Amino acid sequence: MSVTMGQESINLDALKRAIDDVFYSQIDSTILYYLQSCVNCKACEAACPFTPTSLKYSPVNKAEIARQLYRSRFTVWGKTIGRIIGGSKKYLNLEEAETMADYVWHCTNCGACMFVCPMAIDSGALIDLLRQVAFRAGMAPKIYTDIEQLEVSGKYWDIPVFRDAWNNLILKMKEVIGKDIPLDKKNSEVLFYASIYEAMVYPDVLVKVAKILDMLGKDWTFMSKPLGIRPPVGLVIGDKEGALNVMKKVYAYFTEMSPKYVMLTAGGFEYPALRYTMHEVLKVQPKYEVVHVTELLAKWYEAKEFEIEPIDEVITWHDPCQLGRRGGVFEAPRVLMKALSKNFKELPSHGVNSFCCSRGGGGCGLPSMVENMAKVIGIPISEKDKKFLDSTLEPLIKAGKIKVNEINKIKASEVLTGCPVCIESIGFSIDYYHANAKVNHIIELLADRIKVTKK
Amino acid sequence: MQIPYATYPVGNSLYPLALDLFVPTVFFFFLGASYRVFRYLVTYQKPFIPYPSSELRQVSSWNKIANLVNTFANSSRVGIKRKPVTTGVGLLFHIALVLIIFLLAQHMVFWAYYIPPYSALFPLAIPESSEDGLLALTTPNHASITEFVHDIWGPLTVILNGQFLTFFLIIFLGIYLGHKLLLAIEGLSLRAGDWWFFVLLYIDILLGFFATAHIPSNVYWYDNLLGAHILVAEIIIATLPFTRGFHMFEFYLGKVREWYFMVYRRGEK
Ligand code: SF4
Ligand code: SF4
Repeated sequence: MSVTMGQESINLDALKRAIDDVFYSQIDSTILYYLQSCVNCKACEAACPFTPTSLKYSPVNKAEIARQLYRSRFTVWGKTIGRIIGGSKKYLNLEEAETMADYVWHCTNCGACMFVCPMAIDSGALIDLLRQVAFRAGMAPKIYTDIEQLEVSGKYWDIPVFRDAWNNLILKMKEVIGKDIPLDKKNSEVLFYASIYEAMVYPDVLVKVAKILDMLGKDWTFMSKPLGIRPPVGLVIGDKEGALNVMKKVYAYFTEMSPKYVMLTAGGFEYPALRYTMHEVLKVQPKYEVVHVTELLAKWYEAKEFEIEPIDEVITWHDPCQLGRRGGVFEAPRVLMKALSKNFKELPSHGVNSFCCSRGGGGCGLPSMVENMAKVIGIPISEKDKKFLDSTLEPLIKAGKIKVNEINKIKASEVLTGCPVCIESIGFSIDYYHANAKVNHIIELLADRIKVTKK
Repeated sequence: MQIPYATYPVGNSLYPLALDLFVPTVFFFFLGASYRVFRYLVTYQKPFIPYPSSELRQVSSWNKIANLVNTFANSSRVGIKRKPVTTGVGLLFHIALVLIIFLLAQHMVFWAYYIPPYSALFPLAIPESSEDGLLALTTPNHASITEFVHDIWGPLTVILNGQFLTFFLIIFLGIYLGHKLLLAIEGLSLRAGDWWFFVLLYIDILLGFFATAHIPSNVYWYDNLLGAHILVAEIIIATLPFTRGFHMFEFYLGKVREWYFMVYRRGEK
C-alpha cells in the first residue's frame, strides 16, 4: 500500500535538491556510524510498532533508502559497483520517491529500534533524514504542513477556537483555585508550560496541575498566550528550519521568564525537543531546566512535601517513547506510581523497551483527531489527505493489539502515562479491542490523592 | 603439482602461499581499518551539552555500571522474547563461531605462532573431534599435543569439538543465508555486503571442514584445502573494514556509545 501524498504530484527536481542538501549537510560521525555499520540482522524488527503491519516497515528496511543515497555519495563501492547492482542510488525515481514518502510516515522516531539493535543503530534518526528530504521536496501531507505553517507563522493565535480554548483554560484554573493565577511572572520557581494542543485535548489535566501547584504553595506562573500549536511541530514533519524559528521564540520566552524549572505535562516529542534539541541547536546553556511534571512531583514527594493516598487497583505506567527513551525519564514516574498503588505492575515491555503506540512523531496523532483539528481551524481536507489519514489507521490497530494484550496480561485496570498522544492512541486501542481498562494522564489520578504535609 | 604464482616459487600446494600472505593480509586489514576510523574522526563533531548537571537526575554509579551489562544484553533479551527462533539461531551461531575461531586447537597453534602470548590459552583448546581429542592430522601423535588438547573440557568435548561446532555452523549459517534468500524474494533490503561476507564465511567453514575431515582423503588435497581455507580467511580479514564483518569491532563501539549517552550521561543527555 502506498500512501497518497497531499501534493498533486512529486517534483523530482525538488527531490534531487533536497537529497543533495540533506545528505551533504548532516553526515557526522554518529550518522556515519548508523549508515555504514548495520549488519542487516533485522533484530530491530522486534522493536518497531510498524512491523506488525508489514515487514517492509521494519526499521532497517525503511532506513535502507537513506543508506542507498549515502553509498552513492560517500563510498567507493557505492560510486562504482553499487550503482550497477542497485545497492546505491544517486537520486530516486518516482516509484522510489513514493516508497520513501510511504516509509517516512511509518516511523514515530520512537527510538525503540536503537536499544534492540545489537549495533545500537538509531534507524529513527535515518528515517528522520528522509522525512526532511520529503518535506523539502514538498512531499509531506498537506494537512500536516498547513497546521505546522500556522505555528511557524504565529497565525495560530488569530484562530478563534484556539484563543477560546486557551482563555477558557485560564478561566477554569482561576475558578478551581478560587483566585487569579499568576501569568507570565518572571523569576518564579516553576513556569508551567502547555501548548494549545494540550489545552484542547486534556484541559482538565492542566487545571489539576494548577491546583496541585497552588496546594503545594509553589511559586509558579502560567502563560498568558501559548507559544504554538504543539511547538516545535516542524521537527515531527521534517521542517527543521520552521522548527528552528519556533524554537527561537520559545527560548526567548523561557529566557525572559527565567524560572528555575520549565515544567511540561506533555511527554511527547516536545519533551526532548524543548529540553535538549532546542538548546543543542541554538547552542545555548539555559539557566532553567526543562522537566516533566512527574520529575518535579517525585522530587517534592521524596522531600515529603506531600503524601499520596494509595488505591488498591492494579495500575501500570506506559513509558512514552519521547519522555523515556529519548528524554531519559524513567525513575520519577515510578516513584509516584509505587506511592499511588501497592499493586503497581510493569507492562511486559517497559523502560527502554516500552512498545510505542505508533502515533506521535511521524504518526502525528489519531487520524480522527487530526481531521477534527483541521475542521475547527478551517483547513480543508482534500481527498488525498483523507486517504492518507485513513491509511495511518492500520498500524494503530496492529500496534494497539500488542499494547492491549500487554495490559490484559497484567490485568491492569488503569494505564497511567504522561503524554497526550499516548493517551489518545492507547484509549483508541482499549476501545477497539474492548479491553477492561482505562487510560489517563497520571495527574488525573494523582491530583485527588495528594495530601499536603508542609507548605 | 607445481602451482604457478608469478615468479614466486609457491611449492606444491596452496598452503605455503596462504601462510606467506598472512602478514600482507594483516597489513591490508589495518590499512582499511585506519581508513574507516579516519572517516569517523574527520566527521566527528563535539556534542553540545545544554545541561552540565541535573539535580533531578542523580543515578548512582552502581546503577550506571549495572546498566552497562544491560545495554549489551538488551538486544538478545528482547530478541529471545519477540523473535525467539532467529535470535536463538543467531546467538548459538555466534557462540560456535567464536569458540571455533579462537579455541579450536589448530587455530590456536596458528594464532600462537604469530602472537606467542596466545599460547597462555592452550589449556582451553578444543579438540578436533570428540572421539580421540587429538589434533586430527596424521599419526603418530606427539605426546605433548595429546596433553594440549585434553585439558579442561572433559566430557564436554562431546559438544565442544571442532566437528560438532562445524556442523552447527554449517546448519545455522545455512539457515541464515536461506533466510536472506527469502528476504530477497520478498523484496526486502539486502545488500551486496551481506552476501560477500557471509558467503565467503560459509565457503571458508566448508573448506576448513573438508580439510580437517580429510575429504577427499589424501595429502595433496589436504594441503590445498587447508591452503584454500586460510586464503579465504585472509580475503575475509583483508576486506573486513569494508564488510559486515567489521561489526565484530564496532559492536562494542556502538553499545558503549549508547550506554554513554543514554545511561551514563542521562542526567545531562
Ligand atoms: S538491528 Fe541494527 S544492525 Fe540489525 S538490521 Fe536493524 S539496524 Fe541493522
Ligand atoms: S524509531 Fe520507532 S517507529 Fe521508527 S523505525 Fe525505529 S522502532 Fe520503528
